[in-house]
Amino acid sequence: MSAGLTPSLQSGHGCCLLQGLWFSRLLSLFGDKEARILVLGLDNAGKTTILYRLHVGEVVQTIPTIGFNVETVTYKNIKFQVWDLGGQTSIRPYWRCYYPNTQAIIYVVDSCDVDRLPTSREEFAAILEEEELRDAAILVYANKQDLPGALSDAQVAEGLGLTSIKSRDWSIFKTSGTWLKKETRGMGEGLFEGLDWLSNTLKTKRR
Amino acid sequence: MFSLLSGCFEFMLRKEELHILIVGLDKAGKTTLLERLKTLYTDVPGLEADKVLPTVGLNLAHFEALGTPLLCWDVGGASGLRGIWSKYYGECHALVFVVDAADRQRLEEAKLALDRALGDRDLYGAPLLVLANKHDCEGAASPAEVAEVFGVGKLPDARACSVQAVTARTGEGVKPAVQWLVEHIKKSQRPELIRRRMLAQ
Repeated sequence: MSAGLTPSLQSGHGCCLLQGLWFSRLLSLFGDKEARILVLGLDNAGKTTILYRLHVGEVVQTIPTIGFNVETVTYKNIKFQVWDLGGQTSIRPYWRCYYPNTQAIIYVVDSCDVDRLPTSREEFAAILEEEELRDAAILVYANKQDLPGALSDAQVAEGLGLTSIKSRDWSIFKTSGTWLKKETRGMGEGLFEGLDWLSNTLKTKRR
Repeated sequence: MFSLLSGCFEFMLRKEELHILIVGLDKAGKTTLLERLKTLYTDVPGLEADKVLPTVGLNLAHFEALGTPLLCWDVGGASGLRGIWSKYYGECHALVFVVDAADRQRLEEAKLALDRALGDRDLYGAPLLVLANKHDCEGAASPAEVAEVFGVGKLPDARACSVQAVTARTGEGVKPAVQWLVEHIKKSQRPELIRRRMLAQ
């Protein structure tokens, strides 16, 4: 499911959001708990490719997301409701409409885009400041590891300022949204290792 | 007005949270220890040992022990990640170094990692607790042997230090370790030092 998002539509989708919340609460009555996860990051970081890689296991052709894509990803019997929000400068302010009731953030970084790493760091710092995301776990994907010149996970962690996080769980994984399993040499595995970490973390979190 | 007063009152009565940094080589059992702490001290049980994955980042546990709120930081121990440890030195009240006592071949590597950490000025005065983990394994080095290899007790500085045996998987020895930490942090100058550092920022 995907949807457009323009300023004029904002109230409409707020209502949609409420409905979604109501519905997920109803679902939780039956003990089927979905963790709500936001995939954020600058434009062209590879968020949509990652979402569909997790959802259908294949590399799909994507176009820049204006609005959002949302899918339910089932991994090891845990359901993740994954929201991939458009990352262009003009629509980043709308990210915060989706912050309430989020259990985790997947922050995607283009490891080759060294020039824009400071911008990514700023956006990331703003996310960490958000009161509504105070308890959200932070999973970072250092993406596009298949391309030459990609920064290592330690370098991306340093560049993002991950080590300044002291009051919540965080983890970083090297990923490639486009490499298929047989050619990954362990590279595309980071996506699923990340989900493993996330499910462990969400399971043992204090409520 | 009431909320202001009650806020002030709460602030004054608030107990200071003590920060404990858990480091060590990969596969030493840091996260298993953290999960065991969650199981022992909170009502949400931690993960079982076989579910624990290598940490690439930070896992934390909040709990209260001996009337003191504690926050434990468990940082990944793979060689590429050890640079992260130092970012947490400045704010930690005590350092816990976990070592796999059954893996004698890596004791020397562990010693080097520990020496590097202790050389950092940000850890000045912080009590050091070395945990010889996997104590239940056959052929595991005893705390005395670990102390010998690491040279603990011969350290030139004045920090409190101790080597204790634990089995994080079963929880054996964990509670005495926590007790040692809380007691020695309170005796040390570390809380005062960190408070001053925070004020200076």
